[in-house]
Amino acid sequence: MDFELYEIIQAFGDGVMKGSTYALLGIGFTLIFGVMQKINMSFGAVSISGAYASLTASILFPEVNAFVVFGASIIFAGIIGYVVYLCCFKWIPLANPLATLMATIGMLFFLEEVTVHATAGMPQPYPAMPYDEYFEFGQYSIRGDLVAIFLLCLIATAILLFMLYRTRLGIATRAVAQQPIAARLAGISIEKTNATTFIITGLIGGLAGAMIASTVSILSVLFFLPYTVKGLIVTVIGGLGSIPGAIVAGLLVGGLEEVALLLRGILERDIYIMLLLFLFLTFRPGGIFSNSFQRD
Amino acid sequence: MKSKILNGATLALFLGAALTLGINTSAYSAERTIHIAGFGVKTGVVRSFGINTEAVLKAAVLHVNSTGGVKLADGATGKFKLTFYDDRCKAEEGISVVRRIAGTAAVIAIGPTCSNVAEPLFGILQKKRGDASDSGLQMPIFTDTAIKGGLAKISDWAFRNVPNEANMYKALFKWLRTEHPDLKTVFGGVEQDFAHSRFTWHKVMKVSAPAAGYKLVGEAKWLLADTSFTTQVRAMKKAKADIISISSHPFTTCGLLKEMKRQRVKPKLIVGLTSSSSMETLQGCGKAAEGIIIPTSFAPVTDAARFAAKKTAEQGGSTDLHSASAWENVMIVKQVIEANGIEAKPDTVQADRGKIRDGLAALKTTKGLIGTIKRTAEGEADKPFVYAHAKNSQWAVLHDPAK
Repeated sequence: MDFELYEIIQAFGDGVMKGSTYALLGIGFTLIFGVMQKINMSFGAVSISGAYASLTASILFPEVNAFVVFGASIIFAGIIGYVVYLCCFKWIPLANPLATLMATIGMLFFLEEVTVHATAGMPQPYPAMPYDEYFEFGQYSIRGDLVAIFLLCLIATAILLFMLYRTRLGIATRAVAQQPIAARLAGISIEKTNATTFIITGLIGGLAGAMIASTVSILSVLFFLPYTVKGLIVTVIGGLGSIPGAIVAGLLVGGLEEVALLLRGILERDIYIMLLLFLFLTFRPGGIFSNSFQRD
Repeated sequence: MKSKILNGATLALFLGAALTLGINTSAYSAERTIHIAGFGVKTGVVRSFGINTEAVLKAAVLHVNSTGGVKLADGATGKFKLTFYDDRCKAEEGISVVRRIAGTAAVIAIGPTCSNVAEPLFGILQKKRGDASDSGLQMPIFTDTAIKGGLAKISDWAFRNVPNEANMYKALFKWLRTEHPDLKTVFGGVEQDFAHSRFTWHKVMKVSAPAAGYKLVGEAKWLLADTSFTTQVRAMKKAKADIISISSHPFTTCGLLKEMKRQRVKPKLIVGLTSSSSMETLQGCGKAAEGIIIPTSFAPVTDAARFAAKKTAEQGGSTDLHSASAWENVMIVKQVIEANGIEAKPDTVQADRGKIRDGLAALKTTKGLIGTIKRTAEGEADKPFVYAHAKNSQWAVLHDPAK
């Protein structure tokens, strides 16, 4: 099949917009890894569970504004994030790296199955982003809701970066990430910082979950695994622990996915993303940007 | 005195035992339990299918038992006892479940939900009835939901009561051609990673539409968990087809329809997959789905269908083209048991299974909820169907080809 250049650019643009949610997921994975040097496999599930929990807002108040539901998703995911911290990290011996990994994998399936049982596996209607306009510029077009999602994700990232680099909490988080022993000697509570990081990443995940659901106006239990995998791919390509890397990788993966879909079809789409992951792991294991802060 | 009390107690015990035995014996001869098993998916993302099937089976069993039960060979009355198992929509679980069922007193198993379970499962059954060299399971399976075409021929012990999609879409496209002679082109959309939707597009819709005189102008594919359909809908927009034929389940159908609306893709007609003729689609995207036409083998258009729907709702489920078959299956099993000398005694389980199999194989027609169902020599059904369309967020019958 022949494609014109504008179609490829258009597909890439569509994907970049969608990729902003991948970027949020990548940031969540990367923050936890940066602070604790542990992978939280349940982060994608926390994001989607937060979105599911936020449906209670629209059930209790059927006429409620979509942004209230999105806000509820952020709050619920923050709470679930804290529960994950307690169950999978605080009460589990951190010395055994496999224990926390397996615990978070278990939590992923637990959250998924709880949701399946609560909803009988039925997809649930989810409020769409109110800006459902469709803008056309000559040959090109763009979805208004995706632009709004993209902007929201950028704002969330900016707030997060401000928090990390301009507040005491951020300084403590970075101190624990870089030098946990020195941070402890300086009076920073590592446990408190870890817990706070989980809550913050939960909040980010809640926004990601709400945005993912709002793009199709439906929330499905089918989201749990694919978005976990997407988040992990973005984290690795971005460089474990690098927030700018996660942002760029999220947008890149989203864009390349759509181009691969256009040029090679749905059955090959994910192959190219996996190939990209493999190439990064082999030739650039540090990710797009090398990690700016590493533990000793 | 002491011996009188002892004698009295012995007599009372004897009388009690005799009475109990007598009651039990008469009950044994007058009313017996006919064990039947149901199985389907009750965990995971397609759990709703299993929940509905179980509710329908419970409702049907309750109905049979409360209206006189089943007449057994020796004149006794049998009452169904249903046990439902979860196969998790996984082939290995389905096989394990049926092996477990085969070890119980169940005379038949109704299920499974998923075609990816049915296909390998039928493979472990004895291929030819009476073939002593084949040690495959000799357990009649009567499928209500797994819809992928042509599976029952795998074994003589496999039977299905699922709609024949090839006939349904062949008739639908032919009818559309007559009703809308101005429409010439079809663009297809398929959820490529789901056995049923993939089969229905590639082997059914893609064949039926050109056979009815339509020109295929392209196809778009997506996956079950996809949330973005922009690229696929752009391809649809470019093709400018008169009809968009979507072979996907409610979740992605809704995502696609919403994206079509956003990109202002307005085909003259939209045809959907049988499985999307459910409330799930209307709940998910009632407005975007307005006008979509789907052939379905269940609609509450007869008293029997309405009754089954009501009884199922009382059990907490809903009837659709998949789950409604489970009701029919129970009624067919009752009919077969009564006509084939089933005894439902503990020592006749295997013989009863064989008789039920032979009884099912001998059926030429059965009574369905919306009309007579024809049975084929391969153990498949040819069910009556109607064309439903979404109207004001409700399913309404657009046309009944039988009339």
